[in-house]
Amino acid sequence: MDKEFIARGVKRCSTPRFLLWIMPWLALLAFGAYSAGLCLVKGLNQTNMDNRFAFGLWIFLDLTVIALGAGAFFTGFLLYILKLKELSAVINSAVVIGLVCYSGAIAVLMVDVGQPLRAWFTFWYPNVHSMLTEVTFCISCYLTVLAIEYLPILLKNRKLRQVPSFLVFEYELHKLVYVLAGVGTFLSFFHQGSLGGLYGVLRGRPFAFREGFLVWPSTFFLFIVSAAAVGPSFILLTTWLVEKISRKRLARPEVLQLLGRISGLLLSVYVLAKTVDTLIWINRTSPDAGFPAAQYYAWKPFGTWILFAEIVLFGMIPALIMLTPRLRRRTGWLVSAAAMACLGVALNRFVLTVQTLALPTLAFDKFLSYWPSWQETGTFLAVVAYGVLVYSFSFRYLQLFPEERELKAEVQQEEEELPVMAGRY
Amino acid sequence: MFPWNYGFHWGAASYIFLGAFYTVLAVVATTVIFAVFRSRRALAAHETEEIRWHSDFHDLPARDRVCRHVFTGEFKSRECPHAFDCRLCETHAKLIAAHPPQQSDETEEEIFGMSFPVDCLYHRGHAWARPEADGTVTVGLDELGSRLVGAPDAVDLPQPGAIVHANGTAFHIHKREADVRVLSPVDGEVVETGAPGRGWYLKVKPINGQMDMRHLLCGTEIKPWLMREMERLQLALSAEGAAPTLADGGVPVADIAQSYPEADWDAVCGEMFLEP
Amino acid sequence: MTSEKKPGKTARYGMTIDVDRCNGCGACMVACAVENNVPPAHEGATDRKGITWIRVFQVDNGEDYPNRRSAFVPVLCQQCGKDAPCVSVCPQQAVEVDPATGIVGQMPERCLGCRYCMVACPYHARYFNWWDPAWPAGMEKTLNPDVAPRMRGVVEKCNFCHGRWHAAKQLAAANGRAIEAVDYVPACVEACPTRAIQFGDLNRPESAPAQAAKNGASFRLLETIGTEPKIYYRSKKNWVRQISSAPKLGLGKESSRG
Repeated sequence: MDKEFIARGVKRCSTPRFLLWIMPWLALLAFGAYSAGLCLVKGLNQTNMDNRFAFGLWIFLDLTVIALGAGAFFTGFLLYILKLKELSAVINSAVVIGLVCYSGAIAVLMVDVGQPLRAWFTFWYPNVHSMLTEVTFCISCYLTVLAIEYLPILLKNRKLRQVPSFLVFEYELHKLVYVLAGVGTFLSFFHQGSLGGLYGVLRGRPFAFREGFLVWPSTFFLFIVSAAAVGPSFILLTTWLVEKISRKRLARPEVLQLLGRISGLLLSVYVLAKTVDTLIWINRTSPDAGFPAAQYYAWKPFGTWILFAEIVLFGMIPALIMLTPRLRRRTGWLVSAAAMACLGVALNRFVLTVQTLALPTLAFDKFLSYWPSWQETGTFLAVVAYGVLVYSFSFRYLQLFPEERELKAEVQQEEEELPVMAGRY
Repeated sequence: MFPWNYGFHWGAASYIFLGAFYTVLAVVATTVIFAVFRSRRALAAHETEEIRWHSDFHDLPARDRVCRHVFTGEFKSRECPHAFDCRLCETHAKLIAAHPPQQSDETEEEIFGMSFPVDCLYHRGHAWARPEADGTVTVGLDELGSRLVGAPDAVDLPQPGAIVHANGTAFHIHKREADVRVLSPVDGEVVETGAPGRGWYLKVKPINGQMDMRHLLCGTEIKPWLMREMERLQLALSAEGAAPTLADGGVPVADIAQSYPEADWDAVCGEMFLEP
Repeated sequence: MTSEKKPGKTARYGMTIDVDRCNGCGACMVACAVENNVPPAHEGATDRKGITWIRVFQVDNGEDYPNRRSAFVPVLCQQCGKDAPCVSVCPQQAVEVDPATGIVGQMPERCLGCRYCMVACPYHARYFNWWDPAWPAGMEKTLNPDVAPRMRGVVEKCNFCHGRWHAAKQLAAANGRAIEAVDYVPACVEACPTRAIQFGDLNRPESAPAQAAKNGASFRLLETIGTEPKIYYRSKKNWVRQISSAPKLGLGKESSRG
């Protein structure tokens, strides 16, 4: 019954089946909206955050989600600025993922602040020295850019483009998408960095504090590289996941391999930089602040294993897998490596948000623990459900993978030839 | 944000930060305003149809965007840079000057049992155009196009007096789940409309005298083009899961749609009528 | 952002707290809450969700009986004198250092409640209003008319009793002169029965904190991170002076009285 909205020549499940798919997500969204509503109406006492654990699950997830959403800017940058034409196969999907990640993160931030109605104060009375100001400005600007980038994808919907003004506007806007990609790259570069800077500048938290270059601590640059590294991995991972769920071929394996290669390359740069940074921090920055680095890892459960996991297990190993052509060509390896890279960056964000606050700073402090309340978890789940819903609707009604139709024809042909070829595989 | 706001300090940090912010804002706003402005201009200039075709053309798979001179073997591979409007193409002009189009010896080309009269000129989107003695041009669906839609369920024809543009929409055809537009081969004003049964759909009068039809296929080009179209049809049918019965040179039946009830006919027609 | 002017011309309000004198009675905490209209803790409040601009921590030397020794350390905003970590992080300039007094001021009216300053503060001296402020019926009559209560969702902290400072300033102005630190004392100073807390202008060599700063038994919390706090602690006991440095594993447990 919604056939006229679905792009020509692609197969989508029947409307009832689609409704069946979105129903649980809608339920989750409703539950999450209720949780968030509680936090907004009754206040942040609904969370398990407190004066000592002033940032919790939400900030950790915001940092992670924004790092994963970096695929939107980085793919756009590679496609429109560096002209890697192959990536046009996933750019639309990347834009939707970026939009979902950023809008979700901003929505959670609005619940996370104590006085959401005062959010405009940051714009009106900005403290230009604060990393959070940089984050606020860049994220809201970039979300605007993403929304404008999403517009052509939306207006290209089969039914919408029947409207002449939509068709013409989409066409004219798409011609200027290079400008938007450029602006998006600039903005993303800065806010990925300032999200890292958020912690790097905390001289009161020697665990997070880093030296740096000019006004930017080293975490500023590490966040940029790690986000750029993990963005393509997340695009790879989601594309693979959508292929599995929808049981369709959506992008050529070469495109996914290219994403993997880019991810691997940047991840190895990141691992190297992170190693150097960690060594400088252990040997100079932290002891200079009177905090011998060894004590950070003496508080269980945050032992040195966390450093190992962050740098080697979820950094070096996926980088090596994605840089090895033989392994990269095997989907299982490629996808696992991408997932590991995403996990590694999430772990890095976790360490900076949660471990930083758990560790004592005063001699008579104790090691703190924190567990999110159901309202906090619910609000986070709302963002997940919102993301899945936006992506599902976009996938159903918009052309997220322009090569899908061609691939469908190829798959059909392969299947027809299969009986002959079967012996060879 | 502004110097008159409380807490504003003049300083390098403010200049850099707010400078970057306002620059970004200006660039994004200019981009959007520019796009809106150009859209309004295009709408006012009635360029919608042209833009629709350019947008469609951009979305066609690369193999469907090949230059007509690939059919005749003058190029091994070449992508059309002018969205099938050879009137703009210098390469086409040069090639035509060097080798004027050969008129076929036959009065009609017979391909897979379909007839393509050589007094007609053919558009890549399966419409033909025949200049009439009274200066008008008759436009209809070619035999392959007719067989794809068989007896159409409905046809939306423009009103007499309407203007059609080459590569713009001439009319819409509905057949089963398919809803496709047929591209007009020529520019002009519609003076009369026909019906599916009469074999032609539109009579078009050129707006200013002579009609330029260099962009249409004619003569000996028709056969290689059609060979390729049959390949595309096979591909489209097999992509839709229909058994490729044409592979052995079988003749397409008069109403192909009827023979493939299971195929997504919208997709097949979209493919063949160049509407992605 | 406001930076401090040259010392000498302006004041640098500070405190000295004699840990050896503090008996942990908690009078400072009560006086502070009453003075500054801090509402009674909500019934759902935990140890880490309450608002205590000044808070007395109990520390011990980590040894077992009979060698165990305890001390009480009142911790309030340390009024960092240099690059206060909370000032530069605030996205909307709700934290400012008053160049006239050196007091790190928090403006709840402009606070967004992002709590970034709380994360930045190594002294845990900043508190968030997790609940709407509420006083039991009748208790609102005890509210201090000189201090505005804060709303839910904003951060607050010690400001050396801004209400008292303001009243003193007005009084001084009425007498035709400028305010000096000796014109008033914060509520905690006034309430302390052992006179463990003393208040004054660090730029005046004769003031108690300036004297304390020169005292060999003085120390400040986390001096190594370079925040130059204006709260000087003092103890003759070597093990107490250890609390100025970074935490060492296994030393002490956090606890509080009051």
